[in-house]
Amino acid sequence: MNDKTTKILLDEEGIPKEWYNIQADLPTPLDPPLNPATLEPLKADDLKAIFPMGLIRQEMSTERWITIPDEVREIYRVWRPTPLYRARRLEEYLKTPAKIYYKWEGVSPPGSHKSNTSVPQAYYNLKEGIDMITTETGAGQWGSALAFGTKIFGIKCRVYMVRASYEQKPYRKSMMKVWGAECLPSPTNRTKSGRAVLEKDPNTPGSLGIAISEAVEDALLDENTHYALGSVLNHVCLHQTVIGLEAKKQFEQIDEYPDVIFGCVGGGSNFSGTTFPFLYDRIKGTRPDLKVVACESMACPKLTSGLYTYDFGDQAGLTPLLKMFTLGHDFVPPPIHAGGLRYHGNAPLVCNLYHDKIIDAVAYYQTEVFDAAVTFANTEGFIVAPEAAHAVKAVIDEALKCKKENTPKTILFNNSGHGHFDLSSYEAYFDGRLVDYEYPAELVKQSLEHLPKIPKS
Amino acid sequence: MKIGFLLNPIAGMGGSIGLKGTDGDALDRAIDMGGTPIAAIRADMALKRLNNRLSEIKMRKGRELSIEFVTCSGVMGEDILKRYDLGYKVVYNVESEKTTCEDTRNACQCFMDEKVDLILFCGGDGTARDVYSVVKKDLPILGIPSGVKMYSSVFAIDPIAAGDLLSKFCLDDKGNDIMLKDAEVVDIDEEEYRTRGDIEIDIFGYAKTIYKPLFVQERKVVFYGRDEETCRRDIAKFISEVMLNDIIYIIGPGNTTKAVADELNVEKTMLGVDIIKDGKLIGKDVNEKAILDILEEQERSKRQDSMAKIIVSPIGAQGFIFGRGNQQISSKVIRKVGINNIIVIATPQKLRETPYLFVDTGDKNLDDDLAGYISVVSGYMMAERKKVISPRLL
Repeated sequence: MNDKTTKILLDEEGIPKEWYNIQADLPTPLDPPLNPATLEPLKADDLKAIFPMGLIRQEMSTERWITIPDEVREIYRVWRPTPLYRARRLEEYLKTPAKIYYKWEGVSPPGSHKSNTSVPQAYYNLKEGIDMITTETGAGQWGSALAFGTKIFGIKCRVYMVRASYEQKPYRKSMMKVWGAECLPSPTNRTKSGRAVLEKDPNTPGSLGIAISEAVEDALLDENTHYALGSVLNHVCLHQTVIGLEAKKQFEQIDEYPDVIFGCVGGGSNFSGTTFPFLYDRIKGTRPDLKVVACESMACPKLTSGLYTYDFGDQAGLTPLLKMFTLGHDFVPPPIHAGGLRYHGNAPLVCNLYHDKIIDAVAYYQTEVFDAAVTFANTEGFIVAPEAAHAVKAVIDEALKCKKENTPKTILFNNSGHGHFDLSSYEAYFDGRLVDYEYPAELVKQSLEHLPKIPKS
Repeated sequence: MKIGFLLNPIAGMGGSIGLKGTDGDALDRAIDMGGTPIAAIRADMALKRLNNRLSEIKMRKGRELSIEFVTCSGVMGEDILKRYDLGYKVVYNVESEKTTCEDTRNACQCFMDEKVDLILFCGGDGTARDVYSVVKKDLPILGIPSGVKMYSSVFAIDPIAAGDLLSKFCLDDKGNDIMLKDAEVVDIDEEEYRTRGDIEIDIFGYAKTIYKPLFVQERKVVFYGRDEETCRRDIAKFISEVMLNDIIYIIGPGNTTKAVADELNVEKTMLGVDIIKDGKLIGKDVNEKAILDILEEQERSKRQDSMAKIIVSPIGAQGFIFGRGNQQISSKVIRKVGINNIIVIATPQKLRETPYLFVDTGDKNLDDDLAGYISVVSGYMMAERKKVISPRLL
């Protein structure tokens, strides 16, 4: 690497052949998901109605390495390996001694990291003869990624898109249409869960939790229809590890290793995918000082303000109970522009690590996040998605701290997607119309008592 | 669509020339002293805008909007309406050019008898008060701002905005984005303001007015598409869930705080300060002394830190959380309760109109302590960070 190298690239043979499963290395084993009816640990059979066995096995596996099917690697070739960038212009602008690197996932066809899992999920469903997949989407990144994934394997796709985003980001919807998927604003009148919410509040902005309920309910109605989740679950985090595995190789290539890694968290998958392969080194003790920080929204701060307990993954309570940091499954997050971060809970894997203090978390207001995004666009050029901008904000803060303390740290973050469909949010920022929503954590403490009661394990 | 229109011809002719109220020869005196008839100019701007907008709509959509104005004779309305192609009928005759607040009230009564859909008036806070005293919440009212001070929330931002709003309202289309909201009509002691520079504001009542959410891009999203009443109920539900036993809650005036009391099934004084403990009203329309007495009583029986909390909502179009309309919650009371035990609540609609919140407790150090960022509860489990400013720091 010379002093001008900006992109660290791998050739297509550098696409990982195996995903990394952090369940094999967790210091504290994951608490099992529970069947909400029996409160017993979930069995593979409980999930068969909505997921293919291939994914259920991954969900429950504690094997460290899981082979990526050739058919999936073939598709990965379209955009993987993604470049690792050195943010030289941002460093210069900040006058920081820190080295800033970012993995750029905006190069995939749908424009984000989400296709890393939509493709294998579609593949495993196809293998088991499924002809339709339903899902939910927040900002539309996951919906468009699944539309792309299912199109590649010739499966039909129906997407329940959180209404707030459906209105804000109409072109995400068009994108799904291009890839042949049906996209509906959630809550809809199609499902019981949707109707229940609409009855209470016809003007609801919707939420990921509600959309999940609708998609699951829809999948349960038909034998040949399955459901796919774009984040939160173990197998989703697993598929995303291609990001971190590639990044590790890219760092090896330039003989570097990050001191601190940032990723934004909504459901936790892009964060998991980027950081888990590095956390392996930390857990094994070869990189004990590695700092890993999850960046969340002040409007939806499940890690920094939530409760670590069993909760439903969705609004209506159709999903298994997951042990996670949660703001309560009935919490409807304010309509922040980072729609992908509007989720009440987080991946059980991420929560387990946070609870064990292996990772840290930090929360930001949306105005400061957009300040950072604009700084990034003005230096690095890329217009990032508001979700990824949360990580950018953390990186800038860290780089400025390095400047103050004169510590030349190596910083990595995952730039999870582009913001080309989020320009109306940038507009709102320039017009001074962003509201700095925040979660009234102190006041809410009591209301979390409404979570489902689980006997103490 | 039937609109009642009146203007208070002397509104806004200026504190500078010492006009207060609407005594008999005020208009003459004002003109003699070189005051310009501002109200007529501002009303003309609004109606001109409305007229242009309606012609545009007619051209673009080929649609004639049936709008009928009912108004007062001469300077109180007719003189301006006749300049435009807006059909009107005079339903109240002004006997003299020297109009009074009685004229405003009587005209409003005539408009009501005519079953108008909205009353458009041009004036200041005083005119708003006169209109409200007759109309109450029965009809939406909209003010074309023309006073010297306008603290009431029934006014459009400026006359042009009033014209725009009204044209939208007249369209009466689904999706015309015009919504109704509650708006405070406030009572200010102008004399006090002129002589001592202090503003005493009391809420006179809540009228209904029309508004267009500012955010065109996101207009369909959530709160923008939600009426204020629903948001208020969400806030009230949340606050009622987080209220603890054994703690004294000092509840400030306003309809957002009243919603909290409603949720608890407690009858609250809309314009006064009440005290609630264990879900029951223990002090109604209390003054500073009564609040301090109750706090002392609580102090004697309790030792915990958090023995009381204050729940307030910003007041007036400027968004004062302390020092206007709730002076009973004095600096002494606030200090006793502690600034960490203040819960500010406001609907997103209200917060959107008030970029900053203000405090003016009369205690400079306390104002400084209160200044900075504060979390304002604006929905169920939802808050917004707002900046609090002491006007003395401006």
